[in-house]
Amino acid sequence: MAVPDLLRLLDTIPAYQSRVTHIETTGPVPAHYGNLDPLLSPALDGYLVQQGIHLYSHQCDAINAARAGKNVILTTPTASGKTLAFNIPVFDMLEFDPLARALYLYPTKALANDQLIPIGQMSRFCGIPARAAIYDGDTPQSKRAMIREKSRVILSNPHEIHHILCWHTKWRSFLSNLRYIVIDEAHRYRGVFGSHIAFVIRRLVRLCRHYGSEPQFILSTATLANPEEFACRLTGQGFISIDEDGSPHGRKHFVLYNPFSGGISEKSAHQETKDLLVSCVKEDLQTLCFTGSRKMAELVTLWAREDARLSSARLADSISVYRAGFLPEERRTIEQQLRDGSIKGVVSTNALELGIDIGSLDAVIISGYPGTMMSTWQQAGRAGRKGGDALAILVAQGNPLDQYFMQHPDRFFSRSHEHAIIDPENPYILSGHLLCAAAELPLNEETDRQYFGSMMEEHLHDLQSNDLLRKTSRGWIYSGRGRAAEAVRLDGIPGETFRILCHGKLLETMDRGQAYREAHTGAIMLHQGETYIVNEMDLETHTIRVTETSADYYTQPLRDVDLEILEALETKEFNGMKCAFGDVEVTEHFTGYKIKRHDTIIGIEPLSLPPLTFRTRAFWIVPPPQVEQSVNAASCDLAGGLHGAEHAIIALMPLHVMCDRWDVGGLSSSSFGNTGEPVIFVYDAYEGGIGLAEKAYEILPRLFTSAYELVRDCPCEDGCPSCIHSPKCGNDNQPLDKEATAHILKNLCCEPEKSGPAAILPVSESASS
Amino acid sequence: MTATHHTPRAGLLWQQCVQGMREYEVIRDGNVFCTNFSSSFVFSSEYEEARRYLASLLTQYEGMSFNSVFDGTEVENDGGTCVVQKSRHALAHHDVANLRFRDEITQDLSLVHGIGPVTQQKLKQRGYVTISDLCQHPRYRADAEEVLSCLSDGNTCEIMHLIGRRHSQSHHSILGTTGMHEPEDFVFFDIETLGLFSRPIILFGIASLENGHLSVDQYLLRDVEEEQAALLATVEHLSGDHPALVTFNGKSFDLPYLADRLAYYGRGSPGVIPHYDMLHFSRRRWKGEFPSLRLTALEKEILGISRSKDVPGQMVPEFYAAYQRSGNCGPLVPILEHNRQDVVSLALLFFHLVGESYGCT
Repeated sequence: MAVPDLLRLLDTIPAYQSRVTHIETTGPVPAHYGNLDPLLSPALDGYLVQQGIHLYSHQCDAINAARAGKNVILTTPTASGKTLAFNIPVFDMLEFDPLARALYLYPTKALANDQLIPIGQMSRFCGIPARAAIYDGDTPQSKRAMIREKSRVILSNPHEIHHILCWHTKWRSFLSNLRYIVIDEAHRYRGVFGSHIAFVIRRLVRLCRHYGSEPQFILSTATLANPEEFACRLTGQGFISIDEDGSPHGRKHFVLYNPFSGGISEKSAHQETKDLLVSCVKEDLQTLCFTGSRKMAELVTLWAREDARLSSARLADSISVYRAGFLPEERRTIEQQLRDGSIKGVVSTNALELGIDIGSLDAVIISGYPGTMMSTWQQAGRAGRKGGDALAILVAQGNPLDQYFMQHPDRFFSRSHEHAIIDPENPYILSGHLLCAAAELPLNEETDRQYFGSMMEEHLHDLQSNDLLRKTSRGWIYSGRGRAAEAVRLDGIPGETFRILCHGKLLETMDRGQAYREAHTGAIMLHQGETYIVNEMDLETHTIRVTETSADYYTQPLRDVDLEILEALETKEFNGMKCAFGDVEVTEHFTGYKIKRHDTIIGIEPLSLPPLTFRTRAFWIVPPPQVEQSVNAASCDLAGGLHGAEHAIIALMPLHVMCDRWDVGGLSSSSFGNTGEPVIFVYDAYEGGIGLAEKAYEILPRLFTSAYELVRDCPCEDGCPSCIHSPKCGNDNQPLDKEATAHILKNLCCEPEKSGPAAILPVSESASS
Repeated sequence: MTATHHTPRAGLLWQQCVQGMREYEVIRDGNVFCTNFSSSFVFSSEYEEARRYLASLLTQYEGMSFNSVFDGTEVENDGGTCVVQKSRHALAHHDVANLRFRDEITQDLSLVHGIGPVTQQKLKQRGYVTISDLCQHPRYRADAEEVLSCLSDGNTCEIMHLIGRRHSQSHHSILGTTGMHEPEDFVFFDIETLGLFSRPIILFGIASLENGHLSVDQYLLRDVEEEQAALLATVEHLSGDHPALVTFNGKSFDLPYLADRLAYYGRGSPGVIPHYDMLHFSRRRWKGEFPSLRLTALEKEILGISRSKDVPGQMVPEFYAAYQRSGNCGPLVPILEHNRQDVVSLALLFFHLVGESYGCT
């Protein structure tokens, strides 16, 4: 019960006191139980009674809805019993229909492995045969046929499904009796990857229907702003969202801690994280600390142990790092030591937020906003034991988004603003999956439009003219030579993937745009917090070779962006400000890169890369002449203001639209195109677009308001890395004018939106959905 | 409308992506070691030669129409139109005989449930020579009668099943059941495809005996859209009076592939007919004798046939794709010839093996 002691410490030590910008205390919240209607069978009821389970209200709501034939998406927090909420309706079906089958999809093999055991136990206890089995890349050939024929519950992952769909004749008995598709951790399927998965699921449903089944969906996700929309885009079907959590919670204290509260941080945010960790451990709180990189996890651990050693060697030994590279037995040792109390503090990277099996602790320290609200709450959710108080501390970094939260705690603690994006309209992803679908069963323009949308026919003709499809009396058939599912990789856009090799080993893959920006020859590249230098970029073979480095400098590409509007799909106006959304062609010229140590330029190197041209979607805003006049009248710089506004808007995109600020690009000009109007563009940095600018266009007033608040409330004079400076700016943050920026943004948000969709320009069917 | 700007690039990108794909490995000549690890491979000299051959074909047949190169006739059915190329080949021996098989099978006591080689030997010593004799045996009577009734009344499939259940699927007695058929019943079958799975079959080769000659029908697709018609025409060949199928590796490749393509077009599978997969019988007969048991290797070793210009089987998809892209039917010439030789060699090998075990002489 030392959480109150630590809170007292934060309140009394001056160094801490000045940095605590907010403490949000919630709970305790008692459990809300619910009722099932209709009642469960004796077998399932007996299982709950024997396990001593009393179902919470959200579990009952989910079970009732699923049993009534509805698709359900559950967005309650981790550890609220979501697994049971989908296992019960599945087992209910298995018991009722002896032929019924169910498919569980997990984002990783490890998660599927974890879930196999409880499903097996439930099956044995209830006496409802499930013969649950995992079917993935590791499943031996010899067992596959048996699993397809006999297993009633199959656990797999979307990658595997993508590859097995063309073997559907072998899956006939499974597909024709498939009643439930359970998708756990569905929020992982967003962005480019999610858009691919959306088509894998559509292809699966198409084949189920071919074999006469109509499976129901149960999805679980972390908290999102748009669960119904997300579920619908992922699966193409309607959903009921269940988000009222009925599980009990103890008292929780969430501390927002800003090392930059005085403007400039005296110590680094990592040092402060270390101080907080040592304080927690000294107060006997079992603490989990998340850092942005592996290297930081190591350093924070090292520093914390040195500090703690001043008190006692035993205390120092109770702090440990938890690495991705650990062997299973090393992990189990740490997990065991946490349970028996010999370890008090564990430092881990964000990447392990799900993989770590150590139950709940007293306190969680998050060093730097992990990028999404969703991850933040998942990490913070690790704190909280039965009965005790729980503590979570977010230590802010200097970047605009972290600082925005520190200035606006209400935004942080209010309902999620994050929209998870899936774009079933990206032409490259769509046409790739048309190939896969055609290889599975001939495509029919009429009946298959429901899966692939109104653009399908045009793509069919395009693919035909490239010899990949042929029209026959039975529909469009695949006529390509390579296996379609092998050509279509689920993590990217075709032909655009670069492989990054370190000593011949694959480190990661990047699309062309990202590779040009971050992995050109000579670039200092970060991968999972480690530093690498790019030795070679081979444009022919799409291969990039890197080696580890301990360089203390970093690089920044110099880039000129040209942008051409191809077609405005929608326009609207508010405050006399014209806003539009549409197709654009972006050309990025990478002319060179700067080598910088801290903020000092120590060199400039030229680059000879071919220009990068891609067609994507953007929204853009044209400030009216009055704004330009008033900016000039205040003797501010219009170009600097537009540029600053572009940066602020992009910095806060991730607050509303789940993405990384690197997923979007921008361009501002005080005199654009033939009309010479001032304009700000924000575009998706992916060929074809992935729905980010499209979603942002729907919520522009909210986006502009937060961007304005960011700039207005930043204590700096002339703009700083916490507001309008961008770490990815291709023009080295020149020119920038903070006053003009604030003025422009204020004009963008001071009045509510007043007009509807465009009257002048054709509105596409898709863009309004 | 919105994707008008994107689509041309999308299709092109996928085409480039698919063109770069390959389902075999090119292995340095003589690196036999590697061949064990890769299920599908081409030696680099073979590969280089085939690439040169492809280039020369494209020059040689430049501007020539399909009809001027191939003298096929159009076939029309429920699935559409396709073209068949017919040819005849002489066949020296084509006897299949029933007698020796009948003698052998009725003396195989181990076909009866519960009798292994040891028991069989003991039973023979005690005077049980044929299965009929076992009908007097107090313990094996019931099972022996069942076996006898299957042997006398069962069809080929049932008898093959009976033997296969007690022995291996490639047991020579199974080959002996060919004696239950007339030589004209056998359908020799081999397909060429655009890939290892889930892509169109581009050529169906079917051969059977007609008046002492081997008559070969090849359905070569002028365009992939003709696949359905060719599939239906092929099924027709497999649903004759009393047909029996002969393939090389057809149990794991050609037949499942055929069934899958029929299902793809929403057509039912062909009926179950006896199927002799010569790969299995060849393995049993020649395993360890030759470095390779591919059909091309066996035809050279056993039948003394060597092909001069050939397209390696794994590279057929590439050759066909070159035709698809260019419209130049040069690359089809060796595909058709390759397939024709495959079916002919298959028939020769079949009669060779059957004759060796059960010939009249």
